[in-house]
Amino acid sequence: MDRRADLLPGTLDLLILKAVSLGPQHGYGVLLRIEQISGRGLRIEQGALYPALYRLEHKNLLESKWGASENNRRAKFYRLTAAGRKQLRDEADDWQKLVAAIKAALSARPAEV
Amino acid sequence: MFARAHRIWRALTRRTTWENELEEELRSHVERRVEDLVRAGVARDESVRRARMELGGRESYKEQCREAHGLRWPDEVRQDLWYAARTLRRSLGFTVVAALSLALGIGANTVVFSVIRALVLKPLPVPSPNELYFIQASNYPSLSFPNYRDIRDRNTTFSGFVAYRMAPMGLDTGGGAYRIWGYLATGNYFDVLDVLPSKGRFFHAEDDRQPNASPYAVLSYACWQNRFASDPNIVGRTIHINSLPYTVLGVAPAGFRGTELFYVPEIWVPMMMQPQIEGHSWLDRRGDSNSWVIGRVKPGMTVQQAESNLNALATVLAKEFPESNEGLRLSLARPGLVGNMGRAPAEALLGGVMILAALVLVAACANLASLAGARAADRYREIAIRLSIGAGRARILRQLLTESILLSLIGGAAGCGLAVVFLRLLSAWRAPLDFPLQVEVTPDGRVFAFALFVSLVTGVLFSIAPARQVWDANPNEALKGMPSGMGKRRRWAFRDFLLTAQVALCCVLVTGCFVSLRGLARALATPTGFQGRGVSVIGFDLALVRYNQEDGQSFQRHALEAVAQLPGVTDAAYASSIPLSLDHSSTTVFPEGAVDFRDFKGIGANYYDVSPGYFHTMGTRLVAGREFTWHDDARAQKVAIVNETFARKVAGARDAVGRRFLYGRDEPPIEIVGVVEDGRYVTLAEDPTPVLFRPAPQSYNATTVLAVRSSLPEGLMAAEMRRTIAALDTRLPVYGVGSLMQMLGEAFLPARAATIALSAFGLLAVMLAVTGIYGLAAYSVSRRVREIGIRIAVGAQPWHVLQFVLGRTSLLLSIGLCVGLALSLAASQLLSSIVYQASSRDPLVLLAAALAMVLIGLGAACAPARRALSIDPLRALRHE
Repeated sequence: MDRRADLLPGTLDLLILKAVSLGPQHGYGVLLRIEQISGRGLRIEQGALYPALYRLEHKNLLESKWGASENNRRAKFYRLTAAGRKQLRDEADDWQKLVAAIKAALSARPAEV
Repeated sequence: MFARAHRIWRALTRRTTWENELEEELRSHVERRVEDLVRAGVARDESVRRARMELGGRESYKEQCREAHGLRWPDEVRQDLWYAARTLRRSLGFTVVAALSLALGIGANTVVFSVIRALVLKPLPVPSPNELYFIQASNYPSLSFPNYRDIRDRNTTFSGFVAYRMAPMGLDTGGGAYRIWGYLATGNYFDVLDVLPSKGRFFHAEDDRQPNASPYAVLSYACWQNRFASDPNIVGRTIHINSLPYTVLGVAPAGFRGTELFYVPEIWVPMMMQPQIEGHSWLDRRGDSNSWVIGRVKPGMTVQQAESNLNALATVLAKEFPESNEGLRLSLARPGLVGNMGRAPAEALLGGVMILAALVLVAACANLASLAGARAADRYREIAIRLSIGAGRARILRQLLTESILLSLIGGAAGCGLAVVFLRLLSAWRAPLDFPLQVEVTPDGRVFAFALFVSLVTGVLFSIAPARQVWDANPNEALKGMPSGMGKRRRWAFRDFLLTAQVALCCVLVTGCFVSLRGLARALATPTGFQGRGVSVIGFDLALVRYNQEDGQSFQRHALEAVAQLPGVTDAAYASSIPLSLDHSSTTVFPEGAVDFRDFKGIGANYYDVSPGYFHTMGTRLVAGREFTWHDDARAQKVAIVNETFARKVAGARDAVGRRFLYGRDEPPIEIVGVVEDGRYVTLAEDPTPVLFRPAPQSYNATTVLAVRSSLPEGLMAAEMRRTIAALDTRLPVYGVGSLMQMLGEAFLPARAATIALSAFGLLAVMLAVTGIYGLAAYSVSRRVREIGIRIAVGAQPWHVLQFVLGRTSLLLSIGLCVGLALSLAASQLLSSIVYQASSRDPLVLLAAALAMVLIGLGAACAPARRALSIDPLRALRHE
């Protein structure tokens, strides 16, 4: 049984931005990097990956360029734009706040109410 | 052209690159995944399968990517367009009928709109045309020249006033004289209008000071091109007008056609040359209102200010010259159509025609809506399938809308094409008149924008019906084999309403057509006061070749005797002009014993100077008294023959022979020697007008129309007369040669034009109604083939079958017919503005219209009815 958690809606974009912020990546590389940095704790629907990449590119948060990959194969590399970097910062902040709030809510005990 | 093709090409190739890159990206993703899986120990085949599965459905995935990238919208529009084009091609019959009826509807509207724009909306083609106003006196379009001069010099609100007059002239370019039409115009004409010459110079105020002292001419561009072969040395060249030398000063710009929108002048001559051009002078006669006047108001001046300034002046002038100016009121009108005298009827006529054209378009829309509705019902299954496999309703609606708009744009384009062709013909058309009547209608951007707008509105309108069906569609029922609408059958469908409306509109238009036909028949049967058949005429103006009165009179007599000798001629006479032509003269007369001789106290009467034998030749009945004889000459008692209305109004008795009347205070009395029947003189629709005829030997008129009655064909006679006149004087230009009936074309022109327009609309409406009724009836039969089959199988009689399939259609037709006839009755006012003496309250017209509609209905429903009757129950039941 797969013990990995499903992605919350809206978090894929954030994860992609984060993954790309660590260095330009092609599509499959983004997938691997997300798995890697999440400690293989998240399950990414591959079907959602490319539409998300195209959407982010259309919103001008990512830019793409064709280049040669590690084993000299042609690949399309995505990198963050300035707008993307700002977006990542904002969303990461929001996310931290949300996590803190949820965590606090979940750790509440009857005595504290 | 090249740049555009290049751009399209680049967009397309880029698009392909984009798709290729997407494909490559996905492929390399799968490859890498497969490698990883293989490395992790999965068998190669299994890895490939799993990698592909993980990525998901390739096509929908790509679609999502495209959408994410903002490419979906143009893609879908393109798909819609392709799909629409395919659908339209598949049902070619529908497409052709629809596009054609739209083309006709839109074409008709475009033509009418263009004509309205050219005649009513468009200002004169000069700088700041909004400052120009036509001055009319008490709703009469002309002023006397002394009044013009006083108003010009004494007003405070206008920056300039021009007076002008249309005038025929005998132009001799070296190879014989032609009669051409031009303007006599005051010297400031071009300066006030602010037009610049294309060659040479125009005349100015200082060129127009003393009578007969400024023999200058300005040619129109077309005149310079056609009559002088674009002579580069035209400026300064001497030409002969009415046998006198004139110097050409310059050539007007190509687009300038003077100050009337319906007239094409060829030449402008300074007003002071009027005595020479017209042979007699009215420049100093305050009682002769012969000049048209246009003024340019000073910038910033309102119409009210200008008008009140003019009327203050008119009051002063009335006080100073009560004899001719008593009661003078001035008002402003837009220039171009001879003030409100021409503008009001033109606006009424064109407005009426525009309403009819709009009705045709509405009928076309209703027709298309019902056809498209019927088609949508047939496509119900297709739509239901598309809905059930996940197409959004909005997407399908958009698809239908695309189809309608594509269709209406095709129709609109075709309509524009038709309109352009028709307008070309109209602009090139010359009225069969001895007068350069021409309306320049050039379709421009605004007209095409109008057509485009109309097409789009039409497209949206007629996609409403199918759109409603899509909205109500229920895929489950449709796929279970239930025909559309069966689930919740309304008693009255929108379609039914459309058909009724269409039939009603068609009925109105058909009624209009019949009304106009009857109007024309009436116009043709109007008693004109003469028997025109068998009479041939020829016109010439002796002033154009400078005959004096004595020579002129003897020439007229000689010409008369010469044509009377021609074989086949039974009667011959001449007159200064003939009734119902464009040449009218009027004068004011006073009953004998009058003491007040101010103009407005007198009675206005048209007059003609006619030779002895005129009434006999024209076939005008003499009611009392005698015809003129050659003894009624200058030495004899001044006499006149009058018509019955004149006799009643001036002499106060029907039998007025022996009574007298006066032209003015110190004029000798005129004795009435004969009374002739009333006729029509200016238009066929006029009220009885007092008319007097003067003996030509007593009152010479250089303008001459020779008329002969003969048993020979009129064309032949006309040619003979032309030869005879040419033999008498080779220099004399003749015009208006032909049969009298031909020359009367102008009088019948409005009735003819109305009949042609209304018949065209009627025909369009009939075509639309036939397709509409046929379409609906055929549809109703085809939808119920099975049901009819069952009925026939269980023994229904043909009559029952017909009642069953067509009952509803005929009910709708009857309702439409009644509504249409009622509407026609209500539209009587509208029709009478277009057609002379016409009323839709004519039982014959209503009967004919009703009959025509019934025939149309029967004809259109005939084929579907036969199909219903020929249904074979066995085959029908196996159907589906």
